[in-house]
Amino acid sequence: MGNILIVAEMQNGSIRESSYELASFAQKIADPSQVRSLVIGESVTEEANAFSTKGGGEVTVVDNAAVSNYSAEAYRQAILAVIQETNASTILLSNTPSGWDVAPRLAAALDAAFISDCFDIDRIDEKLVFLRRVFNGKLDARLEAAADIVVATMQPGATAPYEGTTNGTVSSLEVSFNEQKSRFLETKVAESKGVDLSKAEIIVSGGRGVGDPEKFPETIQPLADALGGAMGASRPVVDAGWLPHEYQVGSSGQIVTPKLYVACGISGAIQHLVGMKGSNFIIAINKDGDAPIFEIADLGVVGDLFEVVPALTDAVKSAKS
Amino acid sequence: MKILVCLKQVPHQDARLDIKSDGSWIQEESIKFEINSYDTYALEEALRIKDEKEAEVVVASIGPDRTTQALRTALGMGADRAVHVNDESVEGSDALAIAKILAAIGKEESPDLVFTGLMADDGNFASVGPMVAELLEMPHATAVMSASLEGEKLIAERELEGGALEVVELQLPCLLAVQTGINQVRYASLKGIMAAKKKPLDTRSAADLGVQELVGTGAAKIKVQEIYVPPKTQGAEILEGSTTDVAEGLVAKIKELGLL
Ligand SMILES: Cc1cc2nc3c(=O)[nH]c(=O)nc-3n(C[C@H](O)[C@H](O)[C@H](O)COP(=O)(O)OP(=O)(O)OC[C@H]3O[C@@H](n4cnc5c(N)ncnc54)[C@H](O)[C@@H]3O)c2cc1C
Ligand SMILES: Nc1ncnc2c1ncn2[C@@H]1O[C@H](COP(=O)(O)O)[C@@H](O)[C@H]1O
Repeated sequence: MGNILIVAEMQNGSIRESSYELASFAQKIADPSQVRSLVIGESVTEEANAFSTKGGGEVTVVDNAAVSNYSAEAYRQAILAVIQETNASTILLSNTPSGWDVAPRLAAALDAAFISDCFDIDRIDEKLVFLRRVFNGKLDARLEAAADIVVATMQPGATAPYEGTTNGTVSSLEVSFNEQKSRFLETKVAESKGVDLSKAEIIVSGGRGVGDPEKFPETIQPLADALGGAMGASRPVVDAGWLPHEYQVGSSGQIVTPKLYVACGISGAIQHLVGMKGSNFIIAINKDGDAPIFEIADLGVVGDLFEVVPALTDAVKSAKS
Repeated sequence: MKILVCLKQVPHQDARLDIKSDGSWIQEESIKFEINSYDTYALEEALRIKDEKEAEVVVASIGPDRTTQALRTALGMGADRAVHVNDESVEGSDALAIAKILAAIGKEESPDLVFTGLMADDGNFASVGPMVAELLEMPHATAVMSASLEGEKLIAERELEGGALEVVELQLPCLLAVQTGINQVRYASLKGIMAAKKKPLDTRSAADLGVQELVGTGAAKIKVQEIYVPPKTQGAEILEGSTTDVAEGLVAKIKELGLL
């Protein structure tokens, strides 16, 4: 196996935690002497120094105004240059909005194997084996790379950040960027929330299983009200226009940590789980006993939410009176 | 203006997923299929451009016979023409091979805009869009939440974490991998469905497109060793009994947590 290249990611001036997780995966499958890293951005040398000693190994810095903001084109060019420079045959990125955007392009450019959003990686008999979810978390797949070059993205949070110490070096590489066919304009922060779920102690959320918009005020809101909590939702509910975006819990919505989270008709896709798994206690109500939400819930009911939720609402009301 | 929309037919979101005995994929016989949810939003976005200005919308899909149904639905919604790559030798292709086929169609069609979904609801790879862009040497954006044409440029908003957005400007031709919720998707009207029957639907093979060597199980750079039901970890304690029993069990727990 050739060298392994970690593409680290900057976020608000520091290297993201998920990049340190990549270091854990890299150290798991390669000899420390084979680990290379890339840090892209402006004025990143200090961060690169730290990263090299915490699993990153030999770090290359590409420091250029062209990459001060994420751009698929410029990142692609920088990463390809460093792959060549470091003789890397395994390239790891985090499955973040920039990682998932550029990684498949790299794989196509290199005619490489590409595996996205993996939660684990292993080296078995000199072959790289990857584990990832399919069908929105309902099934898992074990895949094998069968190509000389492999590009993979890893799910943030799937492993712990690297804890060891490595011998690091930092060098920089000049890349002369081509003329770009795309341009970063601006980042817009999330709209201010009329509903701030992050402060709610109890959240009752409804998912696609709630079926239609009228059922939210009829079924989900009354339970939230009876418990003195707030109502939340999964993404398909918001996509369908049943509730505004401020109700959305998950990676592209709000991250919530209430004392009690009740998930009704929500299957438990990873993007939803990252938004609520920090809740102190989770109750799941779902008619499918195999739904992944039951893996993360503390208490579950396998049943029709249209029977269970109204019964629970009544029981809560009588417990209070 | 010409717009190419790539869409995949995937198992219906509520379909029962049974794994094949050899563990290679799920059993596809006797389940319902539908257009990948992300792709319905991609098609709608293309149709909205067509509603505003003169544009031809071509839909392309790679898949077995059943895929005709998805293409007919897309034509019923308002697409003008369909290309169906229906070829047994394509089975077992990985995302890169699928991207090579779609790029071959892209080279024939020379669209100004290519739409894909961000990811397919079956494999959840989220790979094909940016790969097609690379092969066609086009700029691209993923997780697109808005797209507006401004002359020879397109302004796209990409979704980041927590609901933040990144605004990018792309020169045409470009590729957009669309996120769900970008618009409200129309239904095919009865009139549309009737009209769709007369719209052209071309069936192509990998050989027609000159990519036969690059596709199928033999060319795949990733191999599925096995798909399986995720091993159960500790998991939730499941309350059993009548609805009343269950409701009371839940209330007891909520009380114990000091929340009632
Ligand atoms: C980049 C990206 C960002 C994303 N961000 C988010 C996010 O922020 N938040 C989010 O939620 N998702 C997000 N998603 C989408 C995510 O992948 C899932 O598609 C989504 O979470 C599924 O929502 P759901 O569980 O409501 O629907 P489904 O997965 O369709 O599940 C519906 C569930 O309802 C159950 N059900 C149906 N009827 C009943 C009934 N009568 N009684 C009881 N149970 C019933 C079914 O068994 C099923 O388990 C994102 C995806 C991507 C790619
Ligand atoms: N077989 C296919 N036919 C046409 N388009 C496809 C096919 N597979 C994937 N796509 C497109 O690529 C997108 C991403 O798919 P994937 O990379 O498989 O998650 C989908 O939303 C489709 O737009």
